[in-house]
Amino acid sequence: MSIAREAYRALESIVGPEHISEDPVTCRAYRTKSYRRETAYETICMAPECVVMPKTTDEVQRIVKVCNRYKVPYTPTSTYWYATSSPKKPNELMIDLKRMNKLEINDKHMYAIVESGVVYGQLQQEALDRGLYTMVSGGGSQVSVICNHINQGWSPLNYRTGLIGRRTLGIEWVLPDGEILRLGSLALNEDDYSWGEGIGPDLRGILRGASGWMGAMGIVTRLATKLIPFQPERLEPTGISPDTTLMLPQNRIRWYNFNLPNRESLERAMYELGWHEIAAAATKVPVLWRYIARAKSKEDFWRLWSQVTPEEIASTHILRILVVGYTSEEQLDYEERVLMDIMERLGGEFRRTKPSDESWIKNADSAGMWWMTGGYVSIEYVIETIQHGVKQGVAIADLKKKFVPPLVNDFGDPGWFQAVELGHGDYSEFLTYWDPDDKEYYKADQMYLETMKLNIDKGFYSSFLNAQPIWLTGPAFGPNYHLWQIRVKKAFDSDNLSNPPGLECYDEIVERSDHLTRDWEKGSMEEVV
Amino acid sequence: MVNPPKLEQYQYDMERCIHCGGCRWVDHIYTPGVRFGVKCPSIARFEFDEYAAYGREEIGLALLKGELDYSPRFIDAVFQCQLCGACDAGCKRNLDLEPLLTLETLRARCVADGQGPLPAHKKVADNIAKTHNRYGSPHKNRPQWLADDIKPAAKADMLYFVGCASSYTATSLAQATARILQASGAEFMLLGGEECCGYPLYATGQVDAFIKQMERNLEALKKSGASTVIVNCAECYKTWRVDYPKVLGKSTADMGFTVMHIVEYVDQQLKDGKIKFKNPVEMKLTYHDSCNLGRLSEPSIYWEGTRGKYGCLEPSKEYRRGTYGIYQPPRDILAAIPGVELVEMYRHHENTWCCGAGGGVRDANKDFALWTAQDRLEEAQDVGAEAIVSACPYCKENFSEAIKNGKEKLKAYDIVELIAQAMKVRGGKR
Repeated sequence: MSIAREAYRALESIVGPEHISEDPVTCRAYRTKSYRRETAYETICMAPECVVMPKTTDEVQRIVKVCNRYKVPYTPTSTYWYATSSPKKPNELMIDLKRMNKLEINDKHMYAIVESGVVYGQLQQEALDRGLYTMVSGGGSQVSVICNHINQGWSPLNYRTGLIGRRTLGIEWVLPDGEILRLGSLALNEDDYSWGEGIGPDLRGILRGASGWMGAMGIVTRLATKLIPFQPERLEPTGISPDTTLMLPQNRIRWYNFNLPNRESLERAMYELGWHEIAAAATKVPVLWRYIARAKSKEDFWRLWSQVTPEEIASTHILRILVVGYTSEEQLDYEERVLMDIMERLGGEFRRTKPSDESWIKNADSAGMWWMTGGYVSIEYVIETIQHGVKQGVAIADLKKKFVPPLVNDFGDPGWFQAVELGHGDYSEFLTYWDPDDKEYYKADQMYLETMKLNIDKGFYSSFLNAQPIWLTGPAFGPNYHLWQIRVKKAFDSDNLSNPPGLECYDEIVERSDHLTRDWEKGSMEEVV
Repeated sequence: MVNPPKLEQYQYDMERCIHCGGCRWVDHIYTPGVRFGVKCPSIARFEFDEYAAYGREEIGLALLKGELDYSPRFIDAVFQCQLCGACDAGCKRNLDLEPLLTLETLRARCVADGQGPLPAHKKVADNIAKTHNRYGSPHKNRPQWLADDIKPAAKADMLYFVGCASSYTATSLAQATARILQASGAEFMLLGGEECCGYPLYATGQVDAFIKQMERNLEALKKSGASTVIVNCAECYKTWRVDYPKVLGKSTADMGFTVMHIVEYVDQQLKDGKIKFKNPVEMKLTYHDSCNLGRLSEPSIYWEGTRGKYGCLEPSKEYRRGTYGIYQPPRDILAAIPGVELVEMYRHHENTWCCGAGGGVRDANKDFALWTAQDRLEEAQDVGAEAIVSACPYCKENFSEAIKNGKEKLKAYDIVELIAQAMKVRGGKR
């Protein structure tokens, strides 16, 4: 199989013969197996039939128009950290955006304009060089800044920087049909990225909503993101792999770890930090991660983890807090004193920390999540309240017991949660690990599906709706948000060419998987008008 | 017993690659930003994913499973790579996988299946078979680098293995190395009838020819009675220190001899006060970590065992992650030379950008080799260096040619030239 010859020739004329390939070797190399590998996504992901590599927005626009003219489904990608970045329909074109790697920073107005191929590690360093900073996504420093801005964008640093949607400014967006839409101040002036709210309705909600379209709504080619003033001292990279780290200037940046007496006091501490408007990040990490950090090898990790008891997990409530003296050393001293007062009142026990950072500020080691077992997936991501995050984590941890083994037993740990926007919200994430060679590996998928049902049953929210069966969660959370999503999709992409199956991706996965059962009514996109 | 690895041994590694791009990007802790933020020359130059380690692992896996056949594109993807190990160090920062061994073995598989070597690599192999050097120059000319003032011993504990480049095309480096050894009071011998170390064979998947070459060299070393092999070439260093034991199924520590690069020797002599740098070298320099002396030079540690639950190994394996490469000695040496101002490039130590010459690339695709060198020269200029210094004749050769072809005002040196100048021994070069 291959894409139509006319379409191929048209694409070739756009990018030149050196930037298009339908060689089976190229196509196989693009068969994404990342992130959700060895899960039910494997039933739907396939290699593309052709790969094209544009360099400019103009090329992207012309490519998308060719796809529309010849009805070629396409999947846009740049750093493909999701299985949804893999083609899922026969005869698909993959539009690899890695050549679009321009980055401009406007120092005066403190924003960066990025193209699709720029990744977080690069943006953060360029910002730090100018006394500014942004967050680095939990997805990793290797993640495309644009992709993450229009899909998720979670990080502990959101505690101070605010959620990513609020920092997104001018956007250049090639719609699924190939038209270009410019949002924010770009709508008035093609050189002005400084302003997010443009004339008329703010279409950032259409582009991203709570958590985006996973490539099913065209291609954002350029986007501006607000940068935040940082402190002036240099963060010094040090060490040799695998022990590289960023040394923090202790007069300006410090980590603090406190073990709180119980979950309630930990939750209370998160609120109080926000009430007093101190700190730059406040996060509770899974106990398992602490063992990863201690282990010298994978085998060493399992030796250590095998000694963990449920009692240890139940009594470990560590809150990890980053404090930055943004304006002065005095600010750091002040915030530290407030922090100590809060912790003294709540019974927080101070734990030793390193004067360095290897996982939040510039580097985010998402790849290391696969280190101990080879199989990993985050079952749930949620932006809600701190209280919600804690309760949902406990409930999902309880659910998880049904799936252990093959899932790694972490003895009821409620996962990772953190305060965002000075405690006005919470980000929580529930992680699972397993051995991909385990014959019951598919139970990870079953738990994923059961978690959705748990959310519906208990009234928990999910920010992961873009990777769930729309006919299950749509009616439950809407009751009709999925119908509006379908209408929007049809209005922008009537032929469903942009990363199909798009909205019904997980519905198709459930249909194809031998291990998942649909017990909800499935509607028809065609019938939605 | 000869025990070259097989592709099947790396199926787990290929399957467990998660396409995170750790093989592509400079460690994010060290990344300078967009420019110079990539450390794999192959994906930077050819851009399609089959030219990154994650893509090669995918097509290697497909080959192993019979889902993909050999084709010109397959062979191109496998051989357009310097085997510089940037991918390996990057991957192993977070994961326990073996991308470089996988790529090496994939090349060997291509050759074993009659799909390689590339014509240029075959020519080099023929040269080595006929004349015992990669260039095809007469074997009798090999010792012609020896100047009258250089007096090797007939027998010594230290054997200076000169290598092809320093014997034939960069003879001043051999002379400088020998004079440094002499000036420090070291007694050294040469290997009568020295032959190529075999690097060009192993790196291009010609494992059978490599094994023969290795066996000849090991036999010659045994006959010499020397217990230390000293080299000034990073490729020779890695071959003797890492590849010989690896192919033999041994650890470096069990080989019965020590391999030392001249920078290790000089560094030790400096620290012991036996060498002094008297002559100033007024220059702003940047040091280029040769891949084979840096991240790829850790000793081979033989491992045999089984893989169990969660991929855990029994017994536990000590991975070569590039942590303990020879990074500091050359920097300490250069810093000790009066007048030298040493500046660091953005990509250094295990994150270094290859000079472009390795892995058979300079033989088979000189344009790519020089493109790679050019990128490094731009980096050196960006940090304000007047000269780029390496510790491998092939790095210097490739940089020099790129400088000649390009606009950079830089100079390229091998570190032994500067050491010799600082020690005031002949062979130093400005």
